[in-house]
Amino acid sequence: MASTDIYAERDPLSTPLGLSVALHGMLFASILIYGAVIGHTGEGWGGDITGGEAMSANLVSNIPLPRPQVNTDNIVANESKGLTQSPPKAVEEPKPDAIPIPEKTIKKPPKPIISRVTPPKPVEPPPNVVPFGQGGPVSGPYGSFSVPNAKGGFGFTGSGGDFGSRYAWYVRQVQQKVSQNWLQYEIDPNVGNAHRVYITFDIDRSGRPSNVQVEQSSGVPSLDISAVRALQRIDTFGPLPGDYGGSRVSVEFWFDYRR
Amino acid sequence: MNKEYRTKIAFSSMMKRTLPILLALLSTISFAQDWIKTGTGLGVEKVRLAVPDFKPVSSDGVTAALNKVFNDTLWLDLSNAGIFDMVSKSFYPLQAPSQPSEVNAEAWANQPPNAGMLAFGNLDAPSQDIVVQGWLVDVKNPTSPPVLAKQYRDKATPDNARIIAHKFADEIIMRLGGGIPGIAETKLYFVSNRTGNKEIWQMDYDGANQKQLTHLSSITLSPRVSPDNSRVAFTEFGKGGVEIGMYSLDLVRMVTFPHYGGTNSSPAWSSDGQHIAFSSSRSGDPEIYIADNDGRNLKRVTAVKGPDVSPTWNPKTNAQIAWVSGRTGLPQIYIMDTDGTNVQRVTDQGYAVSPSWSPNGQFLAFSWTRHYGPGAPGNQDIYIMDIASKQFVQLTHDSGRNDFPTWSPDGRHIAFQSDRNGRWQIYTMLADGTNQADLTKSGENTQPNWSSK
Repeated sequence: MASTDIYAERDPLSTPLGLSVALHGMLFASILIYGAVIGHTGEGWGGDITGGEAMSANLVSNIPLPRPQVNTDNIVANESKGLTQSPPKAVEEPKPDAIPIPEKTIKKPPKPIISRVTPPKPVEPPPNVVPFGQGGPVSGPYGSFSVPNAKGGFGFTGSGGDFGSRYAWYVRQVQQKVSQNWLQYEIDPNVGNAHRVYITFDIDRSGRPSNVQVEQSSGVPSLDISAVRALQRIDTFGPLPGDYGGSRVSVEFWFDYRR
Repeated sequence: MNKEYRTKIAFSSMMKRTLPILLALLSTISFAQDWIKTGTGLGVEKVRLAVPDFKPVSSDGVTAALNKVFNDTLWLDLSNAGIFDMVSKSFYPLQAPSQPSEVNAEAWANQPPNAGMLAFGNLDAPSQDIVVQGWLVDVKNPTSPPVLAKQYRDKATPDNARIIAHKFADEIIMRLGGGIPGIAETKLYFVSNRTGNKEIWQMDYDGANQKQLTHLSSITLSPRVSPDNSRVAFTEFGKGGVEIGMYSLDLVRMVTFPHYGGTNSSPAWSSDGQHIAFSSSRSGDPEIYIADNDGRNLKRVTAVKGPDVSPTWNPKTNAQIAWVSGRTGLPQIYIMDTDGTNVQRVTDQGYAVSPSWSPNGQFLAFSWTRHYGPGAPGNQDIYIMDIASKQFVQLTHDSGRNDFPTWSPDGRHIAFQSDRNGRWQIYTMLADGTNQADLTKSGENTQPNWSSK
């Protein structure tokens, strides 16, 4: 009879158990020792604090907030004289000479010389102050408007010439004509608010626009194309003013689209 | 701004190193380019224009009478232009300027007038002549030079005073209206039966100077003046049948034009004056034909059964014709290329007639009865449709029957016929339907056509 009795031979458990415990203990100990003593690579939690990128909160008594925006009259960004003028200095009226104590010989008190500095007529700043500063010489009326769907501002600078201030009526006419010829139904109907697209073009003496280019795209191709088409639809803006010396004027025109 | 600022810094540092070279170069560089920067959404308000009465230089009766005609005409021309917000005369300062030195810009620019531009001047009538000096200044920028400074001289008659006023108004409109010439000197050609027969008449765009052109003692219809104002083509019911008649304004008489047989009607000039399109039934069914301006080289353009009449050219390209076709039953408006291809239907219902194409090529004005037929009470009104998007706007409402619109050459006005006061008269309005006013009063006046200059 070949039967093998297989009984779970109970080996003594104590030896392997003890060995296992000892091994595990050594393993953990070595890890701990390694972690504590040797390895500190990599970032600690919270990043590299000594680098200074994280904010540290210091208790202060005075919170230095930026000053609130005050509408100053003087908005010129550089040295050149702008259209607006700072308010005139207050007129100081000098004290009239004191009348001396009358003596036997009564001297006539000298007529007080009051130098009256007549202040120059204050130039009223134009009713619409430009909300944003444009660097460079200020040489023309600024305007800012807001209409229900769009807001914008315009300013025109003439570097070397001052077309904008002398011929404000021509600039208004250019702006009206382009706005009238801009067909907004050409723009993709899915577009909501779009960035501004800047178009530049030249106007020659006969008033014909040419060299139409997208200077800065709005990111929406149909808006850019509709802006260029608005310019292409226009045959003439009217001849440049007769007493203007240049042969052409360059225009930078922006289109704001709000659905 | 940042870009400019950085550019400036870089430029200044570069300058130190390369100054001598730059100085040499700068002498050859041309002067700087003028720039304008502006944009949309900036309140497209109309220009506020103040026009005080011109001052008569002498105080005699002749000058005063001419001055009144001049001032009235100038005011009407400018207020009808459609591009100005006229400052009411009750707001004007008491001192009306007659010379640029007399202009007190602040008084005009501040409230109550709050004007943007000021047109002023004086009128004199020395020894049989009339001399007018006129200026247009920008009162918000008084230091800038005057926009206009004009002087006119002609024989002293009320008609000439009117013509000078028209000329000055046109100059102002052209300067402030985006380079489009004013219409104060344009004419309207129309049909009037006040002599007993329907003849072709001519009048100024404001209804003045109405005079008869043809004396044919039969029926004439649908006048169309040529783009160079030399001839008027029309439909003539003569002894030889219904043919295209041609009247020469230069020669002040009728001139010949070929007869084609059948019924020939509704001529239309192309905007370059080289071709005439019209409707002819010489083949039995009225079709659209195109011929040269002397009538030669006749070419047939439509070939579908059903009447085809009233062609009008696209004045911007002369490559398309809009016309009325009854091929589906009731008359509808269609557009095709001038070789007859690419036929598109423009109106989808009702009864649409008398198309007129706007000078900028964008719009069609026509007369439409959208709900037509028994039990569908519709009114015949003038509509404008944007051809590209097929969106339309109704311009007349509840005011009788309105037909035969014609565009002015500036694209801002439409003349049409209306029977709102009982009889058919010629009316004019702005292209948005406002300012409707009648121009004719006697007899029945129909089928206006606006000259192109």
